[in-house]
Amino acid sequence: MKMPSSPLARLLLVLLAAALAGCGRKEPAAPTTGAADAGPSVMEADLARTVAEQTDFYQIKTPADLPANLSWVNSDHLPEFANPNAKPGGTFRYYIADFPRTTRTIGPDATGGIRPYLLDYVGVPYVQPHPNLPGEVYAGLAESWAVEPSTRTVYFRLNPKATWSDGKPITAADVVFTFYFMRSPHLREPWYNDFYTKTYTAISVYDERTFAITLAEWKPDAVVRAGNLVPYARHAMQEFAADWIEKFQWRVLPTTGAYELLESNIERGRAVTLTKVKDWWARDLRFWRGRFNPDRYRLDVIRDPDKAFESFVRGDLDMFPISQPKFWYESLPDTHPEVAGGYIVKTKFFNKTPRPDWGLWINSSKPLLNQTALRQGLHHATNFDLVCEQYFRGDAVRMETRSDGYGWRMHPDIKARRFDPVKARELFAAAGFTTQGPDGVLMNAAGQRLSFTITTYLASLRDLLPILQQEALKAGLEYKLEVLDQTTGWKKVQEKQHEIALIALSRSVELYPRYWEMFHGSNAYEDAYLAADGRFVTKHSEGTPNPAPSKIRVQTNNMTMTFNPELDRLIEAYDRSETLDEIKRNAQEMEQIIHDQGWWVNGWSLPFHRTGYWRHVKWPEGFNAMQGRNAEEFFLHWVDEDERAATEKARRSGEKFPAQVLIFDQFNK
Amino acid sequence: MPALLSRIIRDPLTQKKLRRFTQIKRGYWSFLILMVFAALACVAELLVHNRALIVSYEGKWHFPTYGAIHTGRDFGLDYDYEVKYRELRDHFRAEGRGNWVLLPPVPYSAIENSYPGETFRPRAPDWRKGHYLGTDQINRDILARLLYGFRNALLFASCFILLTYVIGITLGCLMGYFGGWFDLLVQRIIEIWSNIPFLFVVIIVASVIPAGIGMNLWILLGIVVLFSWTSMTYYMRSVTYREKVRDYVHAAQVLGAGTGRIIFRHIMPNILSTIVTFIPFTVSGAISALTSLDFLGFGLPPPTPSWGELLRQGTSNLNAPWIVASAFTALTVVLTLVTFVGEAIREAFDPKKFTTYQ
Repeated sequence: MKMPSSPLARLLLVLLAAALAGCGRKEPAAPTTGAADAGPSVMEADLARTVAEQTDFYQIKTPADLPANLSWVNSDHLPEFANPNAKPGGTFRYYIADFPRTTRTIGPDATGGIRPYLLDYVGVPYVQPHPNLPGEVYAGLAESWAVEPSTRTVYFRLNPKATWSDGKPITAADVVFTFYFMRSPHLREPWYNDFYTKTYTAISVYDERTFAITLAEWKPDAVVRAGNLVPYARHAMQEFAADWIEKFQWRVLPTTGAYELLESNIERGRAVTLTKVKDWWARDLRFWRGRFNPDRYRLDVIRDPDKAFESFVRGDLDMFPISQPKFWYESLPDTHPEVAGGYIVKTKFFNKTPRPDWGLWINSSKPLLNQTALRQGLHHATNFDLVCEQYFRGDAVRMETRSDGYGWRMHPDIKARRFDPVKARELFAAAGFTTQGPDGVLMNAAGQRLSFTITTYLASLRDLLPILQQEALKAGLEYKLEVLDQTTGWKKVQEKQHEIALIALSRSVELYPRYWEMFHGSNAYEDAYLAADGRFVTKHSEGTPNPAPSKIRVQTNNMTMTFNPELDRLIEAYDRSETLDEIKRNAQEMEQIIHDQGWWVNGWSLPFHRTGYWRHVKWPEGFNAMQGRNAEEFFLHWVDEDERAATEKARRSGEKFPAQVLIFDQFNK
Repeated sequence: MPALLSRIIRDPLTQKKLRRFTQIKRGYWSFLILMVFAALACVAELLVHNRALIVSYEGKWHFPTYGAIHTGRDFGLDYDYEVKYRELRDHFRAEGRGNWVLLPPVPYSAIENSYPGETFRPRAPDWRKGHYLGTDQINRDILARLLYGFRNALLFASCFILLTYVIGITLGCLMGYFGGWFDLLVQRIIEIWSNIPFLFVVIIVASVIPAGIGMNLWILLGIVVLFSWTSMTYYMRSVTYREKVRDYVHAAQVLGAGTGRIIFRHIMPNILSTIVTFIPFTVSGAISALTSLDFLGFGLPPPTPSWGELLRQGTSNLNAPWIVASAFTALTVVLTLVTFVGEAIREAFDPKKFTTYQ
């Protein structure tokens, strides 16, 4: 290992090492890492070298360097959303659809599976967005924070009580390590490498508990961008190196959260059980108390949802999501003996959160589909209204814009084009499709039939697609249907091989929507913009639009192949916007263009989540948090084991309880 | 080829075998029932369809079952898409101007929503409305889906037999007849070929089909055939090995007959009984293959009616037992009948009945 050459870098290294030594002083030497006795590990050496080399990014400072006029704030004035009197203890039983392929929370195969239970739902970040008050954050690992917009920097002070699940304190050394980790090529996660390089420009450490994160761009929700991060435990990752993927495949790391996964609780292929961290540091902390209540959280592997439902009704699972009309109306009607007997409670909770953008993504690079009139015709020929009313039984609502669920930020006047075969035929005629063939499908002068293939990779849409197909024929349009398996289908749309795709991207809870990924021309073509010197560039602001782009950029979310210079200009302005007013204004202009051009046929959204659970599962008043995407996400529930015994006794003896079908619409007003 | 077939059929030995087949009552009756089913499936549009058999409008008769669609405007309605004949019937009745519509006994197609304006959900059998087996998740008539699904399965099975047998028999006979390095080489190729995982190939092929063509019956057939012809070669190879050392083959060779003539003219009639006994089992194999592919979701694209798709719907809607019951019963009955026929043929064509080896 080469030592840093400059004297300054060497000094920084020594300082950092001193800071690290300070962290560990309160605890006995760590026996597990192997690094403690054999000098610094390979990881530590590499980290030290990186810190020494990238002095712009890793800034080691002293408390005296902190700006004097910082106004530190916390979240003590905000209301909690859990029930602090929730009853801890007991075992909660639920299911996952597949046995996890790894216990890592990052790297290949780490998405999905068990990650929500190890990180997304459970991990405690520095601060977290308040799920009932958009724009507000509440304290996690940080006890207070301060912003300085002029330097695009957010300062955090860690809670002195914050400890890893193995008892070691969480310090700024872990924060530094996490940035090093996320930016390391060993991670084998290009997306994270890129994100942590482009979003953040510096991490400054002032002392063991105080650090600051500098962002590349200032945004109204900068605190969330800088603070909604969960650190990784430096002391447990001493073996991080190029071969870490294999080494850490089944290793369970210390966590900031309430639940840990012990190796003895992994039943290969069958189940995993999370257990509550002993004396969890945040158990009495505001916003975290009254959550993560069960002592044991057992997740059985059940691959088929219908089978999982049967397990739930039999009593093997405590909860089951019944948002789908099939479960709510058919499999578990209010007259079902377990519901009528009051053993199973049905709940419908109206949430308010960005919705997955279900709809038809029209590949505008394909012949015919590059015509605006024809695309608008597809809007009128696709009967999502019928799907909402009769397939989802009126539960689903039509997406009026792509950004429904962002509340006041949505364009107030845009409405989705309704199903109207006559209007559709007029628009198709404008695109040249004037004669009707013997099979009822329109044709143009060149003899081309008005026929497109809808691709999807979600088997659950198999029954929905034929409805659209039948209805489209009324407008003289033929839809062919293609249901691929998940991997193949995703690959096809990511390579822009589809004509039309019926899919949705899930949305994380954010203050305002994203457009660049889905609509910027540079995500459609590699040669979208030409600079003055003839090079291809990726920004409208840096070049002129290429009149005939030909190199399709694959593996991006611009699955409509949208390339509209005016929209690109707005997207770039939007991404530079620093105030919410500016963001809103730009967003509305962009929504208008997207609506006019018709690249995306508005689909449906479900404005609620529905849950069935046994009566011994209890919830706070009001049931759930406003932005929760499912009932479980914020872990507000608890299990009353005495009630469980009572339920079982009553079921045996035939004693009944009052039936409960509960609707919570306090956030739907 | 037809001459060869008629010669084989006129052959007294074959006549004897066929007589023997008709005497095995269980197999014979199964065969007749299957033929009736197949005949019904061929004219499915006349029995189960949403297009009318006859429309009498303004004194003129129309027969819309086959051919181009009639739009609503053709019959005085105000829309440009295909006329809804059930509504047209009611409309004409209400008008009372002497126009009338004759619908098939079950006036529903396999792909239409038969409860327009109502919720999509499985509905139990309703004899008054003509849904004798109920409807599926999106209000499609199950009887219609069963019948058209059966037709697809039969079409699939027939083409499957034809293709696999042509390839399998030709290659198998050549292997047996030539033997030596040719036999060795082709056998090794077959061994490698049959080790390619079939499902993966289906998935891969589905992903590379260009949009606009899409997966259809013929592509699926091609893939299945590609991986199914191999088993036939083994049988053909061994029987040809046996036959080629017989005196009549040597005699033909001495007379100067070519390879093709010897194989197809002389050897083939003598190994035909082996082939015939395989056919019913290949049929049931083909139907099961198509059904299981559809069940897994790798088969025909929606909304093609198929039994596998019905079974899949049925198993995910156990609270609508008529779906799974219909599909399961149909599958069991047809496969049982085919197996009975197969058993009877095997027995009737058993050479031990007519020859004695010494």
